[in-house]
Amino acid sequence: MNAHSRRVWILLAGAMLTVTATRTMAAGPAAAPAAQSTATPAPAAPAAAATPPCEACHGAHGEGMEAAHVPRIAGQTAEYLKKQLDDYASGARDNPIMSNFAKALSEQQRAKFAARYAAMTAPHVAAAQTAGAAQLVRGHQLAYQGDETRRVQACNACHGPDGIGVAHAAPYLAGQSAEYLASALKTFHEGTRKNDAGELMRSVAARLNDADIAAVSGYFASIRFDRSTH
Amino acid sequence: MAQRLKEVDVVVIGVGMVGSIVAKELAAAGYKVVGLERGQPRFTVPDFQSPGVHDELRFDIRKALMQDNTREPVTFRNQGSQVALPVRRWESFLPGTGLGGSMVHWNGQTYRFQANDFQLATRTRERYGKDFLDPDVTIQDWGVTYDDLEPHYDRFEYLLGTSGKAGNIKGKIQPGGDPHESPRSRDYPTPPQKEHFQGALFRKAAASLGYHPFPQPSSNLSQPYTNPEGMKLNACVFCGFCERYACEHYAKSVPQTVILPVLLANPNFELRTGCQVQRINLDSTKKHATGVTYIDAVGREFEQPASLVITSTFAINNVRMLLLSGIGTPYDPATGQGVVGRNYAYQTMSTVASFFDDDIIINPFMASGASGTLINDFAGDNFDHGGLGFIGGAFIGAVNTNGRPIQYHPVPPGTPNWGKGWKQAVVKHYNHTVMFSLHGSSVSQRQNYCDLDPTYKDAWGQPVLRITFDFPPNDIKMAAYVTAKGVEIGKAMGAKQVAGSPRKGPYTVTQYQTTHNTGGTVMGDNPKTSVVNRYLQSWDVPNVFVIGASNYPQNASWNPTGTLGALTYWAIDALKNKYLKNPGRLVSA
Repeated sequence: MNAHSRRVWILLAGAMLTVTATRTMAAGPAAAPAAQSTATPAPAAPAAAATPPCEACHGAHGEGMEAAHVPRIAGQTAEYLKKQLDDYASGARDNPIMSNFAKALSEQQRAKFAARYAAMTAPHVAAAQTAGAAQLVRGHQLAYQGDETRRVQACNACHGPDGIGVAHAAPYLAGQSAEYLASALKTFHEGTRKNDAGELMRSVAARLNDADIAAVSGYFASIRFDRSTH
Repeated sequence: MAQRLKEVDVVVIGVGMVGSIVAKELAAAGYKVVGLERGQPRFTVPDFQSPGVHDELRFDIRKALMQDNTREPVTFRNQGSQVALPVRRWESFLPGTGLGGSMVHWNGQTYRFQANDFQLATRTRERYGKDFLDPDVTIQDWGVTYDDLEPHYDRFEYLLGTSGKAGNIKGKIQPGGDPHESPRSRDYPTPPQKEHFQGALFRKAAASLGYHPFPQPSSNLSQPYTNPEGMKLNACVFCGFCERYACEHYAKSVPQTVILPVLLANPNFELRTGCQVQRINLDSTKKHATGVTYIDAVGREFEQPASLVITSTFAINNVRMLLLSGIGTPYDPATGQGVVGRNYAYQTMSTVASFFDDDIIINPFMASGASGTLINDFAGDNFDHGGLGFIGGAFIGAVNTNGRPIQYHPVPPGTPNWGKGWKQAVVKHYNHTVMFSLHGSSVSQRQNYCDLDPTYKDAWGQPVLRITFDFPPNDIKMAAYVTAKGVEIGKAMGAKQVAGSPRKGPYTVTQYQTTHNTGGTVMGDNPKTSVVNRYLQSWDVPNVFVIGASNYPQNASWNPTGTLGALTYWAIDALKNKYLKNPGRLVSA
């Protein structure tokens, strides 16, 4: 486990405690817009029965939690979200926290939550811009052009113009948490994440080094992209 | 005045698939090799990246990857009595240009020919008698056998990483593969691509009629693959932009993805792009080549001396290179004498369209260039031709490669060609139609040939190639017969309406068919009926080798690239192990 993932567990463990706490308290008024909150999870919505467990970490609007590597899921396609939940449930994608949640859900519930977040729009979390100018240039190059010396094709070839995603095919990357993107690329790079069709992401990520992973993650995170305007 | 350059061991004309492989092998063997490519250098990154690479107007309609026919056209006519005119828009066939050659825009359909094909004249006589064929048909044996080529087919398929399912390994029939194929030494390097819905419908219907469906061998790969050269390829994403396009994903096997980086890293090799070779130079005996003369991109003329010249340009351009250089006797259809330009053949393409109701959803756009399902039951000599009056056949398959909006709009016969009625029919049928391709063989015939045009010249002042071609009656009969079989399969699929379009004459250059031009520098055992010997060495000038589909004495029922790859490695084997050890004729005339 690397330093990144250790930090994730700590933050997510905190988030889960918060879920438990809010449920115990049987909840107060509706949450403030999640966009104003970055480091702490959005408070849960009132009715415990109607509150998806996703909220504690992914936010009431699916905006994610940058610092904890928790991806933004608002407006990601239902097909993609459902596949990830199914893969967590089956073990095809491995993450102890998500697997626990997904396994506890019926297939119908997984489809319901996927559809719910796919329909959401969420303002962007104002995360600190961490990528430097050189990193953004390199990230842009990988996104638009790829790198012949590494035999890596452009990210946008699959993930769409500006990385805004392609329905039925590839999730959006634009506006995604840099921390999440970097950790996802690392799991593909290491080959520990295996739920990509045709090993497409493993093939690409295997040829990216740490600096390129940081650059391309920072680049996509820097794009302000709102699914509702596309 | 040409500037004379320092002599090298080998000059390779055309750095496409053949040129890349030959140059790589000879450079690795220690020879100094110069590759002359008329087009631009280009690589997956940055040249093939999306969204630009999927520009249908640019690539499909305006043929951006093809030979520049404003500078270097061909002329065409159906009959020797006609005046040939320049082909100003590529339609019927699409010769590529640029580093990587035509293979950059191929579909990845990677077949072997069958043992019978290489001895077609002999086997036809044996099975059907010597008077079976029209006397104008000039089919002949290749001078090599399938067994000669098998190791080289194998090597080529493993270079590409071809995805498929063997049907016959060392004589043992393999379930799920093509039972008609000639024995292969081992299975394909990677498993078949996923079957699309059209393929599944076809497979069930064909099997119900007692045929033998199998997955199309594809060099758009089903999974990541590292080839024996150390090149890593990715899995195909079924984007539906293979043919006429370059692949942005490192998933299609082309020189850029399978061999060029290895070649370019070898200091024994030098690539020169933008170089238009004018001719192969001969000494005063006309029996020995001294090198080539070329003009570079800014118009400077150079002479590149070399001990060995290999012409590995697109098939018809190989023919022209020999004619421009005065190598070999040009073919004369009036007398039947001469060899260069003789036995030009093509491919006889027919189609069957099966129209379904709205509840059958095809999604034709989810495809690769070779992700289909097909049968060989009516290909080659896999069925009895006795009493049919023709030889050859076609594979029949649901092998549609795309659903691109400008190019793909199947409509039933009787639909208006334009306007509201046409638009309504396109909307109705786009997603509910299965297209079969019937990929037919092409016999060579006395009247079909290539020569230099007496009137038209290219941008460098050299005569352009003239093609004289029409479909032989043999092939028209074949197309009609096989199309009827395809229609039966369409009906067995349960289609509401099935429309068969057997290929009919006259041949037209204004309608896309295939880029499978063959012949003109035919290989064989007899210098009176072939341009090169069985090792692809010129009979007339032994230090010139000609490698291309131009070597095929006639064309078989399958796409030609697999066989060309096998011939390439076969010729390399002869070059490395025979010719270069002791330069001279490899076969006595």
